[in-house]
Amino acid sequence: MIQNHFKPAGPFAAEEVPIIQLRARLKTEIQDGNRLGLLTASATSDGHELLTVIISPLGHSVRIINSLLPHDAVTYSSLTPDIPQAHWFEREIADMWGLRPIGHPRMKSLVMHDSFPDNFFPLAAGASLPTSRMRSRRVPYRFTVVQGNGVYEVPVGPVHAGVIEPGHFRFSCLGEVIENLEIRLGFVHRGVEEHLTQCSWQSARYVVEAASSDTSAGNAVAHAFAMESLCGVTVSESVRRLRAACVEIERIACHIGDLAGICADIGFGAGSSAFGVLRAAVLGIAELLTGSRFMTGFLAPFYQRGLPDAAVLTEAASRLTEVGLQLRLTLPLLMDNAGAIERMEGMGIMKPSLAREFGLVGPAARASGIDYDVRKALPTPEYECIEWPIAIWNEGDVLARARVRAHELATSVRLAEALLTGIAVVKQPSCITRLPANATGIGIVEAWRGELIHLVQTDETGRIARYKIKDPSFNNWTALAVSVRGRLLSDFPLCNKSFSLSYSGTDL
Amino acid sequence: MIPSLIKYLQTPVQTNRNLLADLSDDNRGLPILTDSPCHHTEGCTLCAEECVASAIVLQQDREPHVTLDLGACIACGRCTDVCPTGTITVSRSTRRAVTRRDDLVLKSGDIVPVPVLASKSPFRNSMVVRYVSTGDNATDMEVGACQNPIFDVGRFGIQFTASPRFADALLIGGPVPLAMQQPLRLCLDAMAEPKVVIAVGTQAITGGLLRGRYARANGVTTVVEPDVWIPGNPPHPWLIIHGLLLAMGNPLVITP
Repeated sequence: MIQNHFKPAGPFAAEEVPIIQLRARLKTEIQDGNRLGLLTASATSDGHELLTVIISPLGHSVRIINSLLPHDAVTYSSLTPDIPQAHWFEREIADMWGLRPIGHPRMKSLVMHDSFPDNFFPLAAGASLPTSRMRSRRVPYRFTVVQGNGVYEVPVGPVHAGVIEPGHFRFSCLGEVIENLEIRLGFVHRGVEEHLTQCSWQSARYVVEAASSDTSAGNAVAHAFAMESLCGVTVSESVRRLRAACVEIERIACHIGDLAGICADIGFGAGSSAFGVLRAAVLGIAELLTGSRFMTGFLAPFYQRGLPDAAVLTEAASRLTEVGLQLRLTLPLLMDNAGAIERMEGMGIMKPSLAREFGLVGPAARASGIDYDVRKALPTPEYECIEWPIAIWNEGDVLARARVRAHELATSVRLAEALLTGIAVVKQPSCITRLPANATGIGIVEAWRGELIHLVQTDETGRIARYKIKDPSFNNWTALAVSVRGRLLSDFPLCNKSFSLSYSGTDL
Repeated sequence: MIPSLIKYLQTPVQTNRNLLADLSDDNRGLPILTDSPCHHTEGCTLCAEECVASAIVLQQDREPHVTLDLGACIACGRCTDVCPTGTITVSRSTRRAVTRRDDLVLKSGDIVPVPVLASKSPFRNSMVVRYVSTGDNATDMEVGACQNPIFDVGRFGIQFTASPRFADALLIGGPVPLAMQQPLRLCLDAMAEPKVVIAVGTQAITGGLLRGRYARANGVTTVVEPDVWIPGNPPHPWLIIHGLLLAMGNPLVITP
């Protein structure tokens, strides 16, 4: 048992690092085994600052580094050359704030498309809603061109063949072999972060659920932690256990769904059907506990309305046990199936060294030998109700990612059962009527895709002035692009499914 | 592996024979307005105060009454929890898709509108559907679930296709933000006539909570006027199938 608990409430250690020293500082932090949680910008009274969240898995702690930019500065020296995992963060900052990283190796837009007017930076101070008259055209997006004899391009998307989200994949192929894949996202950029600064904080919990609606529980819990850390309050153990149970149930449903998708992309219809039916049983448990198959509109910061009663909790736990039994019988259809293993093995390899460099999270990281799991790195008491292992494989291929999920399924079923048995119905009225001024809060959750971070800041009147969501997919898209290099074009759907990334969570 | 195969072969048919069954009692469902007298005439404004989606509007013209726009409702259940008179209450019916946008705006005193069948749908017996997602991945998952063995949308003559060229119906989920408007238009233009357009989910109908800011995530109507509207956040697979059957003009949608 870990004695040193991470305390999600209360102020985080914050420190000021001059912008010129930030790059060297982050380099040391990462060499020391710490993680770059997120990098973003924020407005200050006198311009902008860069905010860096550093997570220390060994020290079980989180720190925020503020780096003030000089007044009126619209550029800064890029961090990416030394810290490759900052590459998308810097592109996002440029799109949303108009702060350009000088020396970024591949600077282009990430979330703002050509259909938005030029020089419109949604979060920058004084940004106004563009009218159709003030439109000036942006410099069109340019894909990286692979040159050589016989190289041709295959454009895919934004509207894909399956029932999935929109994004554009540009393959440069030589024969059937993928030489380069460039992923262009931003098609579902809905301005979620700006929305969160415009709505009341009481309705923010519904907006964060729509940020990536298949991770409703994960986003709701990260939001709750962020708001509670902002106000320095904690909720009762029962509420924390209920939240953790919801996150685990979401993980079970989604991991089963991903395995069903992997079966479908192998062409193994029987497996896909079997997992699909099992997933429905898990959604039924979510419905029983929260009134919604996707657990929307249920979990809230500060208090919990309508804690399920004892009979419901017992029923949910016994249905989970049944799901666990069914899983033990269903998983071998895929995981012990020689034909399926043959298809998955050695496919879409993400090397551990690259995975570390790009800061991968979630099952994809754990399939590439990174023992990072927020539930262990920032441990809270509710996750110590039972002993459980982190699922780690080193191969980094589709098979390893499937195995991590299969292993985590068994763990999550045990965890959710244990969490549900320790919930007592206590009425806890909400004591918060207004948010503190000039405060910062962070919520970090191991959602089913991996590390999910919410960062919230209030202004001098206690309104939400900045809200940043870092979806786990944000870190992992690069891994998809890297892992398909040298593979056949027809292998791409299976590789893609094995990463199972969120477009809307990345685009926001 | 052997026990798994035995279990697999012994599993009975999973397909739900109870067509368009009501949602389970655990589900929050979608609200309806009943004819139980509303206290708004006496100054009660509880439901409108609770509504985070601005779906509930207190109408002051002539006689004070309440309207609830299912096209904006995010199904959070707060209004049904606070309504003192039971005027707004939970409905677990899965027959909530409509062919007229106005039918999604419920008025107190109304009963649940019976959907009007499209009189001459060209896709009476089979319909090929192209799904376009524009940023609501829970709805994507529920559309995907329509194809699993439990709901088995194929038995109604509905199949999903990978290309708009082969599609009779365009099913659109998500709030259609600015960057997706052009791709959606191209998709529509690629389809042959006749075609139907179906908006699935609150975000597709109005943008839901994400409407009204710079990214213009204001729903499908910015690009095209849908023929069928399916409310829900996200809609249950039965609600989606109800909307698809409605677009086909399948009489199953009106026989209770």
